Amino acid sequence: MKAIEVNGVTKQFGALKVLKGINLTVEQGEIFTLLGENGAGKSTLINILATLSAQDQGTVKILGLDPIKQGNQVRPLIALNAQDTTFDAEFSGLDNLKLIAKLRGIQDIPAAIDRVAQQLDLTEFLSRKVKNYSGGMRRRLDLAMSLLGDAKVIFLDEPTTGVDPKNRLALWQMINAIRDAGKTVFLTTQYLDEADALSDHIGFISDGVIVKYGTPAEIKQRVTATYTMAIDEQKVAQAQTLLNESDISFTLTDAQFNLHAEIAAKALTLMLENSITVLHYDRDEADLESVFLAINDQENTHANY
Amino acid sequence: MQTIKQLNALTACIVRQNLTNADTIITVIAMPMFMLLFFVYVLGGNIATASGSSSATTYLRYALPGFLLLTMAMGSAYTSLRINNDRTSGFLNRLHSLPIPRWVILGSHVLASLIFMLLAELAVFVVGLIMGYRVHATIDSLLLFVGLSALFGLAITLLAIPFSLKADNYASAGGFSYVLLMLLFVSSALMPTKGMAKAVQIFADHQPMTPIVNTARKLLDHSVTLSHNTPMIAGIWLVAGMIIFAILSYRVYAKMYLTK
Repeated sequence: MKAIEVNGVTKQFGALKVLKGINLTVEQGEIFTLLGENGAGKSTLINILATLSAQDQGTVKILGLDPIKQGNQVRPLIALNAQDTTFDAEFSGLDNLKLIAKLRGIQDIPAAIDRVAQQLDLTEFLSRKVKNYSGGMRRRLDLAMSLLGDAKVIFLDEPTTGVDPKNRLALWQMINAIRDAGKTVFLTTQYLDEADALSDHIGFISDGVIVKYGTPAEIKQRVTATYTMAIDEQKVAQAQTLLNESDISFTLTDAQFNLHAEIAAKALTLMLENSITVLHYDRDEADLESVFLAINDQENTHANY
Repeated sequence: MQTIKQLNALTACIVRQNLTNADTIITVIAMPMFMLLFFVYVLGGNIATASGSSSATTYLRYALPGFLLLTMAMGSAYTSLRINNDRTSGFLNRLHSLPIPRWVILGSHVLASLIFMLLAELAVFVVGLIMGYRVHATIDSLLLFVGLSALFGLAITLLAIPFSLKADNYASAGGFSYVLLMLLFVSSALMPTKGMAKAVQIFADHQPMTPIVNTARKLLDHSVTLSHNTPMIAGIWLVAGMIIFAILSYRVYAKMYLTK
């Protein structure tokens, strides 16, 4: 059984179509990351998955159950961790955890709180008022509130936003530990390195549809690759002329030609045929940032037409 | 049973939140006390009440029931602020994703609001007693007064809900309470209506607050004369208000959280 199955989901608010046919699958026990710009539809999708909102069309299943029709059965299986959603910052961390534990109907509340506090390194801070917590501690408390009980699918909405690098790394370890404990994590983030480091699968959402889906490695492979070709500095002018005459587009930086993959081989052949020594010729490694930028470039191009 | 435990847990937290927040205590409990002291000891001797006499003591006897309802009206503003804060912070979403019946979420706010308003009312009432107010009523009447207060608190809490859910921010969520306060000021709550300008007096005599305050006054003091149908009019206003505000609250809540 899949942890999350989304098929053809659409959602419209008034005239605004926010989701235009989302399809995705999340396996049990994996970290899935939904990446996208603000307004791309991430929160709308999370709200549908977390039983807070109903889709207009399509089907959604959480561990085989319909979040709207079987909401009462789905809610014990999920935990939603939006940003900064403690009950009251004037209350202590312990008070906030106790409230959630009582609402989740946990029997042995002290033991449950002790377990998540240790897991998230919060034990010594529990008696402090939340308003005195640092940003990182607040995010850990939010996470702890989500881990109380026996939720199988955890929705984390930008869990490291506003957190310093040290605490970010600590949260990454904690998110990995959640996955290692067999839970499914559905994560949204604006940090591409975070998605790269944590995710088993990534979905890029853009303009209400998933435009790229796969493992981080698969996605990087799929983006249009570029090649770098370095030649002797004294031959740069000759090489430029040859490439221009052959209608091969390129960018030039310090005697290095950057070429799209589909024309790189032709450019290399041209250099060799004209006795220009190629010092270096290699495929560039794409990163998620270039994927993200490529998607946004495509979107802007469409918008311009 | 689990649902009752969940309702208790959430209600207790909200009540505690109100009782430990300095802003709330100042606005909902200290401010009405200050107003009561000011009106009684500064203005009271100059205000002729229904008995025709004007002294601080007779004014206190006349106005305390009005101040008690005023205290509750100020409390409703904080109910609205709390719900609005929970909505805008995302805490309502967290609650809606938990395995608890959805009625418990707003139900706990309503219950907590009612408890806090009654506690605030009791605090102001005790100050009234210290200032010299004396109850001239039977236990039955006192219980009816508590019931009337609870109905009033429930009605204005239900009125607070749509504003709290719809308001864009914390600051505008409590705005409706100014209308409640104005209705209380332009009624028989703090002074008799007979001295008001004619048009204002007509409005004051026929708006809901006047029969409600007059009934409250009668329940605490049997010597007060009251038209025999005033309690019925007060009851109709309260029940009608509760039904209308409950429907309105449900519709706004359902649109935002149940059917979207």
